[in-house]
Order: sequence, then structure tokens, then C-alpha cells
Amino acid sequence: MKTWATLLSLIFAAAAAITAAITSDKLRQAQSDPNTWLSYGKNYYGWRYSPLAEITPANVAQLVPKWMYQTGVSGKNETTPLIFDRIMFITGPSNNAWALDLLTGNKLWSYAQRPPQGLHVCCGPVNRGFAALGEKLFKVNLEADLVALDAKTGRTIWKTRIDDFRRGFSGTVAPLVVKDMVVIGIAGAEFGVRGFIDAYDANTGQRRWRFYTVAAPGEPGGDTWGGDSWMRGGGSTWVTGTYDPELNVIYWGTGNPGPDMNGDVRPGDNLYTDAVVALDADTGKLKWHFQFTPHDVHDWDAISDPVLINLTIKGQAVKALVQANRNGFFYTLDRTNGKMLLAKAYTKVTWADGIAPDGRPILVKGQDPTEEGNKSCPGIGGGHNWQATSYSPQTGLYYFGTTDGCHIYYKYDQEFIEGQWYQASTVGGVPKEPTTGAVLAVNPTTGAIKWRFDMVQTPTAGILSTAGGLVFSGDSHGYLFALDARTGKPLWKFQTGGVVIAPPISYTLDGKQYIAVAAGSTMMTFALR
Amino acid sequence: MKRIWVIVLAVSALCHAQRERNPFSGDPKAAEGGRAAFRIYCSPCHGIRGEGGRGPDLTRGTYSVGERDRDLYEVISEGVPGTEMPSYNTMNEETVWHLVSYIRSIAKRSTETVRGNRQSGEKLFWTKGACGQCHVVGAKGGRLGPDLTRAGRQRSPAYLRESVLSPSEDLTPGYFTVTVVTREGRKIEGVQRAFDNFSAQLMDAKENFHSFLKSDVASLKREYRSLMPDNYGKLFSASELNDLLAYLVSLRGEDQR
Repeated sequence: MKTWATLLSLIFAAAAAITAAITSDKLRQAQSDPNTWLSYGKNYYGWRYSPLAEITPANVAQLVPKWMYQTGVSGKNETTPLIFDRIMFITGPSNNAWALDLLTGNKLWSYAQRPPQGLHVCCGPVNRGFAALGEKLFKVNLEADLVALDAKTGRTIWKTRIDDFRRGFSGTVAPLVVKDMVVIGIAGAEFGVRGFIDAYDANTGQRRWRFYTVAAPGEPGGDTWGGDSWMRGGGSTWVTGTYDPELNVIYWGTGNPGPDMNGDVRPGDNLYTDAVVALDADTGKLKWHFQFTPHDVHDWDAISDPVLINLTIKGQAVKALVQANRNGFFYTLDRTNGKMLLAKAYTKVTWADGIAPDGRPILVKGQDPTEEGNKSCPGIGGGHNWQATSYSPQTGLYYFGTTDGCHIYYKYDQEFIEGQWYQASTVGGVPKEPTTGAVLAVNPTTGAIKWRFDMVQTPTAGILSTAGGLVFSGDSHGYLFALDARTGKPLWKFQTGGVVIAPPISYTLDGKQYIAVAAGSTMMTFALR
Repeated sequence: MKRIWVIVLAVSALCHAQRERNPFSGDPKAAEGGRAAFRIYCSPCHGIRGEGGRGPDLTRGTYSVGERDRDLYEVISEGVPGTEMPSYNTMNEETVWHLVSYIRSIAKRSTETVRGNRQSGEKLFWTKGACGQCHVVGAKGGRLGPDLTRAGRQRSPAYLRESVLSPSEDLTPGYFTVTVVTREGRKIEGVQRAFDNFSAQLMDAKENFHSFLKSDVASLKREYRSLMPDNYGKLFSASELNDLLAYLVSLRGEDQR
């Protein structure tokens, strides 16, 4: 009898290995599994760090393409692939997705949902990837739908309307699975929406909770909006947050207030825009918030990954949260209470003389947008914008791209019309001052820049770091490149033929380390020769 | 009766859609309405006053897509394939015409008249100025600098004057100067043809292409300056300069089509 039981358990174990359903435990332990890539940031902390070390500075010159899959769908490709069951799951622009055989790149299934007419998307029909739980994949569609797909077939299991796309809401974020919930953010601040973060039941698609990132009158923070401006307050949440399972807290960055660079119609700090919010994972209730740019008038969304790192600062162990904010400052916060531990400029900043100990910027006069135009630095995209960042526990460094430059900021009057572009402001380039950029390696305990890899233009791509001592990223000219994680020295490059916006990832197949990245409309993988 | 109405409506729609001239021409309210729409839809690329940015300067009063009201209408409603100018085909006709009114209202075409002699200017262009060594007009000329075949359509007289006298003041995108020093100490200077994080491709004054990997050379730099000589203010008399400008303004591409 015992033999039969053993045999049965072996059979079940084998079946489980084949189907390899994604469990909550697997997601919690994702960092210890070098072979897969199960979520947007690889682990819940958002490190985007692969423990694989086969590819090193010594041999990266031998890295060669293994296969390419041309999706045939043009547009900006921002997907983070998920890897499990010997399959790569990717999303693409305009509500497309594919499952690719990891060995060959052959398509196993595809998904496409034609976006409706009348969509309002600020920055192209993009999508940043899947989340997974059980045998389901979750993605948002542009028309502000959340869909659950069968990972084996791509068939839709359920579909939930997040909000009304006609009012300006849209879906671009890669969802985050927490326990049995799918957590998502929303885009649309340029259309005067009121932003939020939602959690949905992974089995049914029913909404569990919603946290509005713009406080209404009577709510805490509701007094930081003049008049009824909160109703059009923006605060969209278009980049995936992180999660601390021990504290059971979800951390999510929020976007700019609306209208973007014209604060005249929304006096006050405009909570909780341009902030990181810490939410109880079960209820969505706010535990604390930290607002990087109160009453923002430069469009400095705080949507860069809120990466969780346990640090030792001045001899004290700290559960930290770091963010390279678009406003030009790098921040380290205490993630148990939101207290700022340090803030340091990483690019040219003219709008503030620094950040006071209480976290408020020390404002410089004359930096706000005007009708005639006013130069301020950094420019509208930052600093560091949204592109995925990486933390390497091996080097203790945090890696992100930065744009170094300024803009001329303009504001003007504009009547709000529901569903229509509502910025009441714009920017122009500064004559004779072309912007440049860099990949930076920053020490998160001090904010000091350890090295920089200078770039001739704005960095477009996300970043991967590996235990092999490498940092991978890409650029707008189509290069995928590898830098020495300790020095920033360029060691390898490959011309992919398409702009690299997505972050690279790493995984194994049959014991061999691979690097994968989406470039242009092509998905491609690399391994040592 | 119903059929007649259908025909009337169809003819009316056809006339409306194929209107050559702006029906709101001269109506200040139309320009004001267009200003509001411009700020929302156009200013992100063309600048809040239409002076250009990622998109072309619209205040010059000359348009590469054509000069007729209809040309402007079509470029707004249909976009320009192969460029970043999108189609606004969902915008209603009245709004598009209002935008045309606004664009007309910000044009500065009459602010400068060129008094020179076109024929004399043409001669100066190809002889004393040696402009043709680097600039092409139609089928003739050099290939180092920007194509001037349609310069009079694409640029205002004031802008052309500035470009002749101070060529580095506002560089045509993609015409930066690139200087490379090889490991052997050889210096090569030219106009950027491509430039990325790892390499540079340039054309030198003799129209030779060069390509370098950053890792293979001693230094590689790109500067916001033009390789064009900046002494035309001294080389030409005021009268010659006017002649040259008269020639440049006359370059509208028609002869070369």
C-alpha cells in the first residue's frame, strides 16, 4: 500500500513538474529559482537580478543570438517575458500576446484582441507584460480590461472591465500577483482621470479592493486639492509595484497630478500623486505614503520601480525602499514607515536646492512653467523615467538609466472635457542643448554614484543585473549591451535592429544560461557560443 | 423627395470635403478657436507658439507640404506618412479649418522682404560662395550639407539669412560635427551621418564616408557646431548677401520635380 502511495505521489510530483503551476510560494521564492522568470521584477522586491553566473565578464564576448521571433506587430515593445514550463510568455503592443517554445522560438499560441475605437492612450498602445498564477496568465488590455488567459492555450478564462476607457482610462501595466489576487495600476492622467490601484480575485476576476491615488474631500489628504480639482487629479499607476510578504505590504508608485504642468487649477500638495503608497495587501488600506514632488508642475511621475532592499545604514539594519525619482533625486526610504533616510541628486537639478530632512523639496524660485516658457532641469521625462531598474546583491549597487537635460516648460488655460487630452501645459526643447544620458550605478546606502556609462541620448531600455557580474541594457539605436557590474565598462554589444525599450531577462534551458529581450517587434534570445 | 435630399447632402459633403480655401479665412474667432485646439493637439511637437520643437516651425509661413489651405487641411487630417506627424482624421472639419486659421495667423512671412537679384545670387551660390560644393540644388551640387532644393519653401528668409551668417546658430538635425582621432594620431572631421553609443559614421569634406567603433579610436566626439564656414558676412557685401538670399528664397522645388 505504501508502495502504491509512493508511486502515486511520484506520478503527481512528475505531473506537477510538467505543468509546474505557479503558486504563491513559488512567487515568494522566485529569487532562489534561477531557471525561471515568474513576474515583472523577477522577485517581489523588484530586483530584476538573475542568480545565474555562467555568462561573465570573461566570456560575455562569446554571447550570440540563438533564436528570434518576429511578432509582426509594430509599435513600442515594452514587455517583460515570463519564463516557465519551457515556454516564454510575452505581450506586445495593441492587445497582442504570444507563447513561444523556449527551445526554438516557435509560436505555441497567440492572443489578439482588437482595441476599440475611441481609445485615449497618452504614449502609444503599449503593454509591459504578463503576471502568472496557477495555470493562468493575467494581462491588462488597452481598453482598461483585465483578462485571465489559459497558459496552455491563450484562451480567455475571464475578463473584467477595470474602468471606462471613454473617460481616458487605459491599461498598460504588467500586473502583480499577490496571494490569490491580481493587483493592477491604471494609466490616463493626461486625460484628467482619478487614478487608483486595484486588486482582483485571480479565480473569478471580481474586484477585492480599490485604492484611489487621489484623495477625495473628507478622506485623509482630501484637503490637498483645491475645489473639485481632485475629480481630475490624475495620479495614474502605470508601472508595476513591489510587495513585502513579511510585512504584507504592497508598494506602488503614483504618477503626475492632472493637469500635468499647470498647477493653477489644483492648489495644494495634491496627495497622493507623485508618491509611493504602502498598502495593506489584504485590504488596500493606506499604511503610509511618501510624496516626492508635492504640487508637481513638471510631470515628474513617481512611477520608477519602488525596489525593496534590506540595507545597513550607519550601522543600523533597515528595511529600505529605493527609488530613482523622475524629479532628479535618488531616495532611500524606510519601508516600514515611509521615513526618508536619504535623498541625493543624480542628474542636473535646478528646481530644488535639495530635499529637507522631512522629505519636502527645498524649492528654487522661478522654476515653474509660465505662458512664455521657463527652463527647468531635469526635463519632463526626468532624470530616470519608468524603465525597469535592477539591484544586484552581489555588488550592492542599484542600476538605472538617466536622461541628463532640461526642458522649457509652458502652461496655458484649458477647459476640461471628459475623455480629452488635458495637460494645459507643454514643453519645448532647449536650443543648442541636446539631451544625453547614462546608465548609473548608485550605492543605495549613500546615494553616491559608483560609476556611469555615458550615452549619447536618452536611455530607453530597462536593466538586468546578474550574478555573473554583468549589467545588461539596450538603447534607442538598437544595441543590446553588457557592462561590467562593478565598473560600468562596456564588454559586449549586439545590434538588434530595433529600439530596445523592454528590460532584458535571464533564465536557463537545459542547464544553459540565456539572455532574452524584446527589440523592435522582435523577441530574441542569446547564449554563449 | 428623399432621394433628392440624399443627392443634395452627398454633393454638399463632397464640396465641403474638397474645399480648396478655408471657409473661415479672415474670421478672428476661427483663429482663436484654432489656438485652443493647437495647444492641445499640436503644441507637444510644434511648440506652444508653433515655433517648432520635435515638429517643424510653423511660423515661417512656408510649409513643406504645400502652400494652399487645402494642403494644410490635408496634412492635419491625414498626417504625413513616414514621419512623426499623425493623422487627425477623427477631428471634425470645422476644428481642422480653425487650426488652419490659427497656423495662418502665426505666420511671419511678410516680416522680411528680400530685395536682391535672384540671378546674381544664383551665380554667387555656385562661384564666389562655393555653396554648391556642399549643398545640392536639384541634381547639381555637393552632398555634405543639407539639400537646399526646397529651401525657400521650408525656411523663412530670416532663418535663411541667419543660416548663412551664423551656420552654427540652429543646426539642421543630424548635421552635427564629428571629430575622430585614431590611435595613430590621425584626425578626421566630418558631418554626422550616424552616431550611437558605440560608433560614429561621418562624411568628410571630400564626401568620403568613414565608420569608427569607439573602442578602436583614441577619441571620438560630437559637437553642436556646423562645418560650414562662418565668414560669409565678411565674404559677401550686403548687396551680394541679398542676392544670395533672393536665390535661396526662390528655391521651391518646382523645377526639380
